[in-house]
Amino acid sequence: MCEFVSTAAFLRLNIEGLLVYFPYDYIYPEQYSYMLELKRTLDAKGHGVLEMPSGTGKTISLLSLIVAYQRTYPLEVTKLIYCSRTVPEIEKVVEELRKLMEFYAKETGENSHFLALALSSRKNLCVHPEIIHANIVVYSYHYLLDPKIADLVSKELAKKSVVVFDEAHNIDNVCIDSMSVNITRRIIDRSQANVETLQTTIQKIKETDAAKLKEEYRRLVEGLKEANVARETDIYLSNPVLPDEILQEAIPGSIRTAEHFVGFMKRFLEYLKSRLRIQHVVQESSPQFLKDIFEKVCIDRKPLRFCAERLRMLLRTLEIADITDFSGITLISNFATLVSTYSKGFTIIIEPFEDKTPTIANPVLHFSCMDPSIAIKPVFERFQSVIITSGTLSPLDIYPRILDFRPVTTASFTMTLARTCLCPLIVGRGNDQVAISSKFETREDFVPEIDKRFFFYVYMENIVASWYEQGILENIQRNKLIFIETPDAAETSMALEKYQEACENGRGAILLSVARGKVSEGIDFVHHYGRAVIMFGVPYVYTQSRILKARLEYLRDQFQIRENDFLTFDAMRHAAQCVGRAIRGKTDYGLMIFADKRYARADKRGKLPRWIQEHISDGSLNLTIDETIQLSKHFLRQMAQPFRREDQLGLSLLTLDQLQSEEMLQKIAQIAHQA
Amino acid sequence: MDEEPERAKRWEGGYERTWEVLKEDETGSLKATVEDIVFKAKRKRVFESYGKVRLGMMRHMFVVIDTSRTMEDQDLKPNRLTSTLKLMEYFVDEYFDQNPISQIGIITTRNKRAEKLTDLAGNPKKHISAFKKAVDTPCAGEPSLYNSLNLAMQTLKHMPGHTSREVLVIFSSLTTCDPANIYELIKTLKGLKIRVSVIGLSAEVHVCTILTRETGGTYHVILDESHFRELLTFHVKPPPASSSSECSLIRMGFPQHTIASVSDQDSKPSFSMSHLDSNGGPGLTLGGYYCPQCRAKYTELPVECKVCGLTLVSAPHLARSFHHLFPMDAFQEMPLEDVQGERFCQACQGELKDKSVIIIPFSTSVWSVCTPCIDFSRLFDGALLLISVCSAGVCMSGLQQHVLCGV
Repeated sequence: MCEFVSTAAFLRLNIEGLLVYFPYDYIYPEQYSYMLELKRTLDAKGHGVLEMPSGTGKTISLLSLIVAYQRTYPLEVTKLIYCSRTVPEIEKVVEELRKLMEFYAKETGENSHFLALALSSRKNLCVHPEIIHANIVVYSYHYLLDPKIADLVSKELAKKSVVVFDEAHNIDNVCIDSMSVNITRRIIDRSQANVETLQTTIQKIKETDAAKLKEEYRRLVEGLKEANVARETDIYLSNPVLPDEILQEAIPGSIRTAEHFVGFMKRFLEYLKSRLRIQHVVQESSPQFLKDIFEKVCIDRKPLRFCAERLRMLLRTLEIADITDFSGITLISNFATLVSTYSKGFTIIIEPFEDKTPTIANPVLHFSCMDPSIAIKPVFERFQSVIITSGTLSPLDIYPRILDFRPVTTASFTMTLARTCLCPLIVGRGNDQVAISSKFETREDFVPEIDKRFFFYVYMENIVASWYEQGILENIQRNKLIFIETPDAAETSMALEKYQEACENGRGAILLSVARGKVSEGIDFVHHYGRAVIMFGVPYVYTQSRILKARLEYLRDQFQIRENDFLTFDAMRHAAQCVGRAIRGKTDYGLMIFADKRYARADKRGKLPRWIQEHISDGSLNLTIDETIQLSKHFLRQMAQPFRREDQLGLSLLTLDQLQSEEMLQKIAQIAHQA
Repeated sequence: MDEEPERAKRWEGGYERTWEVLKEDETGSLKATVEDIVFKAKRKRVFESYGKVRLGMMRHMFVVIDTSRTMEDQDLKPNRLTSTLKLMEYFVDEYFDQNPISQIGIITTRNKRAEKLTDLAGNPKKHISAFKKAVDTPCAGEPSLYNSLNLAMQTLKHMPGHTSREVLVIFSSLTTCDPANIYELIKTLKGLKIRVSVIGLSAEVHVCTILTRETGGTYHVILDESHFRELLTFHVKPPPASSSSECSLIRMGFPQHTIASVSDQDSKPSFSMSHLDSNGGPGLTLGGYYCPQCRAKYTELPVECKVCGLTLVSAPHLARSFHHLFPMDAFQEMPLEDVQGERFCQACQGELKDKSVIIIPFSTSVWSVCTPCIDFSRLFDGALLLISVCSAGVCMSGLQQHVLCGV
């Protein structure tokens, strides 16, 4: 959208009776359609899943509609909470918001009393009380989903808020990550050091200020009444680490005094340490773990559940300012609470070594969450509308299922285009008609002939080595420079920078990178920085991982989602993300080449977002390399023809007059595709 | 001798889905095809004239031809290089036809180097023979945009200030291999008022976009051979001069053609100066053009006198350059309802049926012409329409000028 920064004119839109100010003088038809769906969702006070391609101005559509809604019905919607993934994305939102606010100020003549707050990085650190008063809050997912942070930041957000998760195609993984705990030797060592510190501090306080500890004890006897009252009166966002049941009860006597609690934690740590001393992989469920811990060290389930809360209180009583030092013990106590609270949705896997290095002992206890709905449940329950939106959310029905909520609207929007600026091609065969596939059994002798790729690092290294032996690299190097993404962040950003420089001054380059890597998700390749993405193979997750296996099993048992369906869905959303990197707007264009015959199958193709799918013609399903080159050449020449804004007007870019025409409104109605 | 000749056979070459080009639009205007947009742009360009502005009539242009490995590609028939050189012959002819007092020079680039094929000169024959020779040169390595532009700049910067300095790059590769930062060079080119235009043969290259935008040139990418030709034709017309370029008077000679016959006792055969440096061609001839200043003999005009440096032209040449200065007013498109008077096309005499009508403003009257006629005449650079009307005897004073000038 920022490609068409306008100077003076703005649009006043009438969206089913709601006056929306739109700070640009043109609007894309799909934006109008998007706002329409969004308004219906807000009207119904329900949740929504909306998919609209990137580069079509999602952000500004969201902001202008919700702000207009807030102004018109101040009692219905009090706050907008906008969650995005990365700092640059948050900054982009703030930029758009600023534009909108300027327009409001100009239009209404009054200095708007809207307060917007962005929590992006440490340099703009949050000031807690302001959140309550702000009308718009923009921050990262973690502030809302991660129980550790959410408790600090988002606890007091009003119920009548609208929550937007932008770029939400990975939201289930964020949820899972925020609830999962990995415990290594180092963490245990650090926790033990923490416990030591606690003990000495308690000792010291006991000598100087025994009254304080007594006071704490008294409070604990009374129980967590305070917190309970707060929750019942609906002031706080509930915390999944602090389950309802424990609020009703008093903290059990065994951990009520500070010394007892420290002793308790010591015992718990010793137990964990002993569990890590293993030679083979162990997998067990939470109840099994609890049974084992009871038999071995006589730790009951009940005190475990209070661990997190008890530790927090203790730290408060001891007036320890710097909590970051206590991250180890905090993690352990969270683990204790979670493992004893949830009997379902979690699994414990203890691995004596990493798969890659089977000789080096590095035991890890994975306490892995398998149910993303646990983390996000409080959000859905608390807030009146939650909007999940991204460029790639297909198939739309799977998100409500794995996140366990019932949306009132699910819609996918296509991109209206004055020219077909994306060209998805599925290359299924080599020139010798041999099928191209990176399927497991054929991987070793698979010889791809073209450029840019996303895959796993190690696998990529193998491939690059074999390309070198076969002289493919040399061939590519005669035309373009080659850059490679590596697991090392500094190296990668260096490669990225050089890659962009090479694009800038005409040298031309290829960036080899892996799907699910940093490059494939977060980095945009606008215009000349990326004209073609070639996907080699289907980016399935590492299926041998035990954590994944456990999760798949859980999904099958709980949500009736078959393993294959989920794996394909996961692979295709990553594929869509990768190829979507090249197209970041309507004036942009790019080739999307899927170099694997499996993409042609309906179950794969059908899971691509609609805006990509509709450009895959039947003829481009199983192309040979030669045919692909032909088509690409043709496409690139077409796209290089001069393209001006006038060519878009009336088709994919509308003025207010054009928007109001009967014919256009009918067309707009077709854009949204209800799932 | 192993693989090369085999590749040359058509049936050995790439499999082409030629029918893919013919794509029908099912959803109507929603998926407007690129062709449509190209067509609109073309029509605009044809109608668009600069009006009465100063033009850089005296052009000094370097044509940079990419002869890198990519020129062996067979998507133009028989390959890019042969096709390009053939079109360049046509271009050079047209160029001198329309700009007789201008000069052109050829640079080729391959293997990261640039070399001058011909120096700046006003004689089309020399260039064309150079093209004929160049067909057989092997294409190899990568081109260097920097080196070619630098080479062109070295010569162009010494050209007098009143001339229009231009570079036209025919760029086939998708990459360029440069010894230094090209953006510095672009700045220098801009400072020297050298206008660089690019015709791409494969796809849009970002650095060319910047290059042409900064130096005030144009950037186009060809769709096919006929489009290529069209884009070249576009460069035949002299560009508007920048307001800061100097004005100056130029000395020119208008030699008379002396015809002598063998029977004439006074005439002696003599060498033409233009043939001195070339080995082939005719040697001694009778008659020719004699420089009014130093009496050096030339067989062809226009030419710059080798002896005294005077520009020798003939009056018709000058007149032909002259007509660019007084272009016709731009054609306008207007809806049919707004047309006043009789509703028939002045060209085909048919009834006006289309939604829009093209209005041709002449100095004495205004014509309305239907769109098919305009599109048809576009094929011949607008010439056909006017001629057909003229032959019908409707010639008007305002029109004569255009016909005379060989529109």
